[in-house]
Amino acid sequence: MIAVLRSEWLKLRTTTIPWLLSAIALVITGLLILLYFVNKGSNGGPHDHSTFGPPTPDIPHTTQQLRNLLGTSVGIYVFALLLGVLIITVEFRHKTVTTSFLTTPHRTRFVGGKILIAVITGAVLGVIVLAGTLLIGGITLSAKGGSFSSLVHQLGAVAPGLILVYALMAVLGVGVGSLLTNQVAAIIVCLGWFLILENIIGGIWNGTVKWLPSGAAAAASNVSSGRNDIGLFNWWQGSVLILVYGLVFAALGSILLARRDIT
Amino acid sequence: MPSAIEVRGLSKRFGAVRAVDDLSFEVAQGRVTGFLGPNGSGKTTTLRMLLGLVSITEGVATIGGKRYVDLEHPIRHVGAALEATSFHPTRRAEDHLKSVALAGGVPLSRVDETLEVVGLTDVARRRVGKFSLGMRQRLQLATALLGDPEILILDEPANGLDPQGIQWLRSFIRNQATLGHAVLVSSHLLAEVEETVDDVVIISQGRLVLQTTLADLASQTGSGTGMRIRTPELTRLAEVLNAVPVGWRQTGPDTMVIDGASPEWFGHFAAQHQIILYELIQEKGSLEDVFLQLTTGFDAPHPVGPTPGGAA
Repeated sequence: MIAVLRSEWLKLRTTTIPWLLSAIALVITGLLILLYFVNKGSNGGPHDHSTFGPPTPDIPHTTQQLRNLLGTSVGIYVFALLLGVLIITVEFRHKTVTTSFLTTPHRTRFVGGKILIAVITGAVLGVIVLAGTLLIGGITLSAKGGSFSSLVHQLGAVAPGLILVYALMAVLGVGVGSLLTNQVAAIIVCLGWFLILENIIGGIWNGTVKWLPSGAAAAASNVSSGRNDIGLFNWWQGSVLILVYGLVFAALGSILLARRDIT
Repeated sequence: MPSAIEVRGLSKRFGAVRAVDDLSFEVAQGRVTGFLGPNGSGKTTTLRMLLGLVSITEGVATIGGKRYVDLEHPIRHVGAALEATSFHPTRRAEDHLKSVALAGGVPLSRVDETLEVVGLTDVARRRVGKFSLGMRQRLQLATALLGDPEILILDEPANGLDPQGIQWLRSFIRNQATLGHAVLVSSHLLAEVEETVDDVVIISQGRLVLQTTLADLASQTGSGTGMRIRTPELTRLAEVLNAVPVGWRQTGPDTMVIDGASPEWFGHFAAQHQIILYELIQEKGSLEDVFLQLTTGFDAPHPVGPTPGGAA
């Protein structure tokens, strides 16, 4: 298993995928944090005040606010999802899958190897965005007069959940990618789901939110402020839900892959 | 000793198309077998079924008596270099081989060894995206050799190689046989593998045409190939020839080629009909001619020329 993992990591690190995705996820996390502070500022006072000089910012100070700040990147779980998708679809895009199947003819085992590397690199991506959040969020918070140490104090509550969500979302990505091996199609489906469909479905039927990946992710990572209003699952239920989604997709994908002719 | 590779009653249907149809052949250990057939005759599909990449509609394909998927660490037993396999462009040659070695249960020391065998040591740290077609072919061979397998399956390995590369490939394949390894090498050109192979398996339209030794195939050259005739009585000769089961075609105002007959028979035949001959030359056919005749649908071992009696 260690050898499989080393092989998969060698394959992954010699593509641009992990580096590019981490970079983009970090940049977006940074932007979201800055946006968060800007919004807090403009929400703090009457409308016209925001146009004249810096408004008095409503600095995050409650436990939930600090957790929400730290958990900013839970909202962009799509990067972990894409990581998983790319880990598997890249083999089809560049036709390296022929060599992989010759080396590992059992296709379920092949998908298993991808899941293994996805769990680990997904978790690492979680750590990276969390570190970025701590750095950018901490600096901004301090600059606005907030307390950096109180932010650090919430790390224990947010970090395990967030890292878990990223690891599980990457597994889900492998599942989606094993089902939809065309890289471009898989990316479009994931982005379409994340940016559009999930919001529409959640918007129309509020009751479904807790069953959706974003709801499950919020539940799993203890962050969403409105969690009680929309009735999310608790953290372990949310985690199990994402894992189940991932494994169902991966199982279907494995079955389909097993019948697939590699020509 | 069991066969290195055994294919029995193998068929593959893609929708309505029978790409491979009830194909059976064997590859002996320690010998080089040429797997020959025109493009689209089902060679690649057969090899991919053998390697578990394409599902089998009917029949069995085994390697050392086992299905490929049932082999523990298959690349230690079978090395395959297939067409249309690719590499990740940003990956270095060395890293590609390392990733395969790790997943395939092969010691990492083999990476440098195989790079040296195929002559890619100098570019080991270069990204494969910058490789020429010939270098990719060599890297493909290095990948096949990584597990030090006793059986090699090479699909059109000469494609993209320059003349020196082809020369190198030939000695490489012969060397594998000297080591006691079985090699199955596919090609659409017999001439390409003529100097390398011991046995030939010839297929056409997904069906077996012939499995034999190269020596046996070579003995067929000349047996059914043409005689060039020059005669002032071409029209009369054509008339009398049409009465016998011999193929002919006109090649000039006073020349024709006759297939499927011996010079001895024709000499008597011409004398009997009192036809004057200016020339009677037996054309010694090449292996390639035999191969072409075998794979264009005419019955072996008495191939006749196309459109007997029909040429004007």
